[in-house]
Amino acid sequence: MPAQAIALRAKPRRRSELGLLLVGLVVVVLAFVLESFATLNKWPPNLLTFVVVSLGLVLFLNVVNRRLAPNADPVIVPVVLLLNGLGWVMLSRLAPYVGASHLAGFQALWTLLGAVAYVITLALFRRSRDLERYRYLTLFLSIGLLVLPLLPHIGETPSNANGARLWVKLGPVTFQPVEISKILLVVFFASYFVEKQELLSMSTNRIGNRLFPDLRSLGPVAFAWLCSVAVILLERDIGFSLLLFVMFLAMLWVTTGRWTYLVIGIIAFAVGTYLASQILHQLNQRIEIWIDPWKYLAPGTAQLGYQPVLGELSLAKGGLSGTGLGLGAPQNIPVAISDFIFAAFGEELGLIGATAVVAGFVLIVGSGLRVALRARSEFSKLCALGLTVILGFQAFFIMGGVARLLPLTGVTLPFVSYGGSSLIANYILVAVLMRISDEGSDEVRSYGEPVPIAAALARS
Amino acid sequence: MNPRIRWVGAVMLLCFVVLFIQLNNIQVRQAPKLVKNPLINETASSAVSALRLPRGAIVSADGYVLAESKPVHDYWRWQRIYPPLTAEAFAPITGYYDVVAASDPYGIEAQYDSLLAQHESPTNTLGQLLSQHTETDTVQLTVSEKLQVAAYNVLKAANEPGSAMVVLDPRTGAVLAMAEYPSYNPNGLASHSPKVADAAYKRIAAYPYNDSPLPNLATYRPLAPGSTFKIVTTSAIFDHDPSLATRIYPVESSYSFPNSGNPPQKIHNYASELCGGDLAMALLQSCDTSFSRIGVALGPINLALEARSFGFDSTPPIDLPKAEVAPSIFPSPSQIGATPYMGYSAIGQLDDTATALQMALVAAAIANHGKMMKPYLVSRAVGKYGNIEYQAKPQVWRQATSASTAQQVRKLMLGVTQNPAGTAYGVFQQYGQGMPTMAAKTGTAEPQKNVCGTYNWLVSFGPAGPGETPTVAAAAVVPIPSNSTSCATNPTGASVAGPVLIPILRQALGLAP
Repeated sequence: MPAQAIALRAKPRRRSELGLLLVGLVVVVLAFVLESFATLNKWPPNLLTFVVVSLGLVLFLNVVNRRLAPNADPVIVPVVLLLNGLGWVMLSRLAPYVGASHLAGFQALWTLLGAVAYVITLALFRRSRDLERYRYLTLFLSIGLLVLPLLPHIGETPSNANGARLWVKLGPVTFQPVEISKILLVVFFASYFVEKQELLSMSTNRIGNRLFPDLRSLGPVAFAWLCSVAVILLERDIGFSLLLFVMFLAMLWVTTGRWTYLVIGIIAFAVGTYLASQILHQLNQRIEIWIDPWKYLAPGTAQLGYQPVLGELSLAKGGLSGTGLGLGAPQNIPVAISDFIFAAFGEELGLIGATAVVAGFVLIVGSGLRVALRARSEFSKLCALGLTVILGFQAFFIMGGVARLLPLTGVTLPFVSYGGSSLIANYILVAVLMRISDEGSDEVRSYGEPVPIAAALARS
Repeated sequence: MNPRIRWVGAVMLLCFVVLFIQLNNIQVRQAPKLVKNPLINETASSAVSALRLPRGAIVSADGYVLAESKPVHDYWRWQRIYPPLTAEAFAPITGYYDVVAASDPYGIEAQYDSLLAQHESPTNTLGQLLSQHTETDTVQLTVSEKLQVAAYNVLKAANEPGSAMVVLDPRTGAVLAMAEYPSYNPNGLASHSPKVADAAYKRIAAYPYNDSPLPNLATYRPLAPGSTFKIVTTSAIFDHDPSLATRIYPVESSYSFPNSGNPPQKIHNYASELCGGDLAMALLQSCDTSFSRIGVALGPINLALEARSFGFDSTPPIDLPKAEVAPSIFPSPSQIGATPYMGYSAIGQLDDTATALQMALVAAAIANHGKMMKPYLVSRAVGKYGNIEYQAKPQVWRQATSASTAQQVRKLMLGVTQNPAGTAYGVFQQYGQGMPTMAAKTGTAEPQKNVCGTYNWLVSFGPAGPGETPTVAAAAVVPIPSNSTSCATNPTGASVAGPVLIPILRQALGLAP
């Protein structure tokens, strides 16, 4: 069978991917069994189903990649599935304690739908420049999606004083449109910046002995700044507005190389956040809770400091090696299955497990940036960069929020937290990265062996 | 571009390194100090009490969620939410759940607390034996969202504080709608923020109305039932002295009570109209002089016996907390042993009081061949795995009267809507187009003599034509205060309560409102 042998040889990356996927699968299944012995003291009742479905998913994605993106990065999908699997094990362990056993089943369904979305994205976008063509369509779509939660009837009204207005309800299905919107915005900005690259990089105004960019080309910066502040003010969500702004600044700076943009952008965001915190009580309160949550624990009040304090104690309780999977009680942290799932890892798997989750995201970010470095066109470079920045910073914001490095922003931990829109959107994001990666690593261009990010940095 | 992409990578790597350092800081460096904090007990597996776990949902008969728990970030974890579109309409039924004050005094939240709160569930599998296993149930009402919201809206449109309405299925006792106006928004009371909750309590305390809306007015607040009580008096005739049913009563505008002093006490008909004739005419015209004569002829003992067999002086066994269900009162025979009191009591005045629920039950008993069914609001409670934890079974509360008496009274009550001289003929002609034949009785109680302030009642059930089985029985009361501008139009039970109740009866019978 020489033909098959050639086919196999032609896809060495897919073979490594399959190996990594199987290693990840073993880790997830072991975690599932361990968790079951800890909480139920017996084999998981649905172990066979779980193994069959997971193995099916792993093989399916590997086959899809062999057909649709044979030369794409072999690390991204296995790490994504590992995080997703570990997140599911933690979720299925916590859900019954928070009175929501059905969520584990939902999350499994969302994962499968995410995989379907991944395949559809890869199948539809055979070339990254297909995306470039629909520049304004993506802009309008993403703005439409951002505005959707504000509309009456379908927008979910905040259920409590701190509730962000982020959800859209259509019949029985509730989703967060901003998750899809973030991908569309990356695509739009990438194609916009590539076209306007020269205009944006030119300095025509002189103040003192320094040159500044043309004011007109500052328009997009002002636009993005306004959008972010509007999102904060109207949807009461600082997490995504910060995320969108960081993504925008990173893409703008990588396009133009002008430090001025960075400085102006950061100052503008600081001013905007300050103004918003003056107007919005809850934003100010969030920052105060971040600085000292122990102050907000008085009995007889809503005890808003309770969640961050419990998250921190949970991490401390975990210590270096954790209480053991299923043997802690992270279900006591409010909203443990979405915002604070990272604290659950810290408690039950300790510093070692928490670091493993962080390392997973470092691997994804490293691979994503390598995809950007090797991408063939400037558009796909910027696209890969923007998507990686979004994914990496989203993970950093919420993990940093749980560890009290940053104020709590309430974004989901990609692939790990409970949430359908987040899972599906992030699978689509990964599909776009894989498409760009596949184009970039054509046999024609030889970059040699994959290099770790530190080495890549050293080369620059 | 590539060098700058590497820079972005460096910044992101730095972020994750800082995160790693902070994790070390918390989990290794500060951990020994942090785990000594007394709050660490909150991370023990048994730390969370039932108060801080989600409660089951309350859903309407047609599947709308009326109350549910949603996760929030504060100490209490779960915020009780009453969806805004149904919150006010259903507040008197659902009650509210104030977890901070640990109080849920009213409504289904209180009565079905043991099913709504986390509770031990039966063990179904071996695994559940080894783990703590609790669940909450979803409690389903017999009340549909459609009818209840319509009932609340029609009371709200009438805008008379203190109004109440009850619609029952006379065959089972299932409550189909139970509304009050003014109502309140339970979301403010359930808020975890003391500021918001205090403001909500203050807002309710400042309602420009004597009775708090928190207890369900339809079951809690008895008012003089006026002429609707004549249904009970008429039943008493057939049960205790059938000869009164064949007597012809003089046509007169006033009646002087015998043995009531000198000069004798007199009762005047509404607007001093002339009325009288046979019992059918007396009831359909709601003739006060004829019924005063009947009251005197029956005597206090017969009246009291009949009233009690219809449930007066007992607390209706509806599934609401006892604190918000009041008995309706018929005075003891010794209190009304002399004239003119027995005459006044026979027409629902003086010390007679009745809740809207009581009068709906009276109508339901007549509609259901004299059997008064136990009223209930919850049809079932369903556990997490679809297991039925509670299922309501229709039960007879009391045999109010015999089937033959109920048949006679039903026939007489048809005259109220069918005979052009009937007090509700006009209003059913106007609002009841296309409706099946309805039996009804109006009532206009005047708690103070010669002052406009009235309690305007309409009690009705149907379809009540010959051979038909009534499926809906209802009562509505709309008070008109003595200083109201509506006084100029001489409010009556038919003119005020009719336009409120009839559209709801239409909907309950499955017709367009």
